[in-house]
Amino acid sequence: MKLVKKISMVVASMAAIGALSTANADALDTVIERGALNCGVVLDFPPMGYTDKDNQPAGFDVDYCNDLAEALGVKSNVINLTWADRIPSLISSKTDVVIGSTSDTLERAKSVGFTYPYFVFKFQVLSKKGVEIDSFDDLKNVKVGAAIGTTYETEYFKYADEKGWGRDNYTSFKSENDAFLGLYQGKIDALVSTNTNIATKLASGQFDDFVAGPYVPNYDDVVGIIAKRDEIAWINYLNLFLIHQVRDGKLNDLHVKHFGSPVSEDMVKALIENR
Amino acid sequence: MDSYNFHWNVVWDAFPQLLGGAFTTLHVSVLSMLVGIVAAVFLALGKMSNSKILSFLSSIWIELSRNTPALFLIYMAYFGLGAYGIHLSPYLSVFAALVFVNGGYLAETFRGGFQSIPPTQYNAARSLGMNSVQAYRHIILPQMFRRIYHPMTNQFIWSILMSSLGILVGMNDLSGETQRLQSSSFRTLEFFIVAAAMYYVIAKLVLFAAHLVSKRVFKGELS
Repeated sequence: MKLVKKISMVVASMAAIGALSTANADALDTVIERGALNCGVVLDFPPMGYTDKDNQPAGFDVDYCNDLAEALGVKSNVINLTWADRIPSLISSKTDVVIGSTSDTLERAKSVGFTYPYFVFKFQVLSKKGVEIDSFDDLKNVKVGAAIGTTYETEYFKYADEKGWGRDNYTSFKSENDAFLGLYQGKIDALVSTNTNIATKLASGQFDDFVAGPYVPNYDDVVGIIAKRDEIAWINYLNLFLIHQVRDGKLNDLHVKHFGSPVSEDMVKALIENR
Repeated sequence: MDSYNFHWNVVWDAFPQLLGGAFTTLHVSVLSMLVGIVAAVFLALGKMSNSKILSFLSSIWIELSRNTPALFLIYMAYFGLGAYGIHLSPYLSVFAALVFVNGGYLAETFRGGFQSIPPTQYNAARSLGMNSVQAYRHIILPQMFRRIYHPMTNQFIWSILMSSLGILVGMNDLSGETQRLQSSSFRTLEFFIVAAAMYYVIAKLVLFAAHLVSKRVFKGELS
């Protein structure tokens, strides 16, 4: 009887450990077991994320998703998100991770887990030719717009409120593309976006009547990858992945691929310093 | 979901902005409803009229507004007209689209109301020496509005809820403010839950106000 008792205890404890270990499966385990990475990207934000002419997801962020999936040894599953979908998609577990140029504000970090930064943007003004915008202060006198809820909108408001401009000359747009459409149609004279997006739009040839203007003063937009806040081990893995992207030269390769130039020393320095 | 903790203090801090947005929502939906009612009376009469042109024009408005998504209409008012150099503000685009939709839907409701009133009443009013406008003003319209009161309040609530599509063109209504606030704080669920509750309250307030008005105007005689 003793033996039976012992065996049953061992079985019971093993079952308990088994149950415990499945209950403790974190995001990293889940992704590896599933064999696929559900990676959220905003495909409205070239060249970070967009759809190519075959309607396939492409861009810097998409390539980062694919590199991450490759590092994990799983299939990459790119999920298209709007800016506003990023958090709900994580909370509802539709995505494991969002590589979506997310500015790492302390306010947001209360809600979601950020990795180290993986890119640094500048915020810039794009305006119609003939609208004189030499410095950021000239925006006061023209109609300005930006995509709703973006960090550049927040930064613009901060600047405008400090200077006491008011918001009457400001229009927000649902998305990045709508802001460019609004500028194109003449609803606004100038918009604020990232330097990368503006450079891409100017290179497309559709915005020949427009010129890139001044940067938002004294502001670097440092962005990170986001995941659920409590998935510490997973975020740890993502951090190491980002370090490897720099160390193995992948960051540089992708910068050349999507921006036509090697990654600047300033950016690498900023990424390392912001760790 | 079990890993999500609700942080409500973020929402309370932003409550003044949400209230500002709620006011815009109320404003645009009430105004578009009132103008829509006036438009709908003429559309209903136009559709029933013997004039082929009037009837045809009214039918186009009614058919388009009832069979196309409000989302599309708002987008067309903003970016569609923008392509031709006509720039309506986000508020005006939503207002125009909602008047168009409200007018179209209500016109069919009103037509039903008009047709439920026996034509003999109109003839009787005329025989008492009233002209056509007086007959409508004193005899037909008061009865018609009594009969269609309930479907009309339904449309009113639709108008409030549809105004949330204003987010599409960057209107700073309740949805727009919610979108902006959730995006800077990432407390998405909290803001959406509170916004939904505020829409509920707005709808109930409007119903209550409509009830008060109807009591005064119809003196409790709803059919």
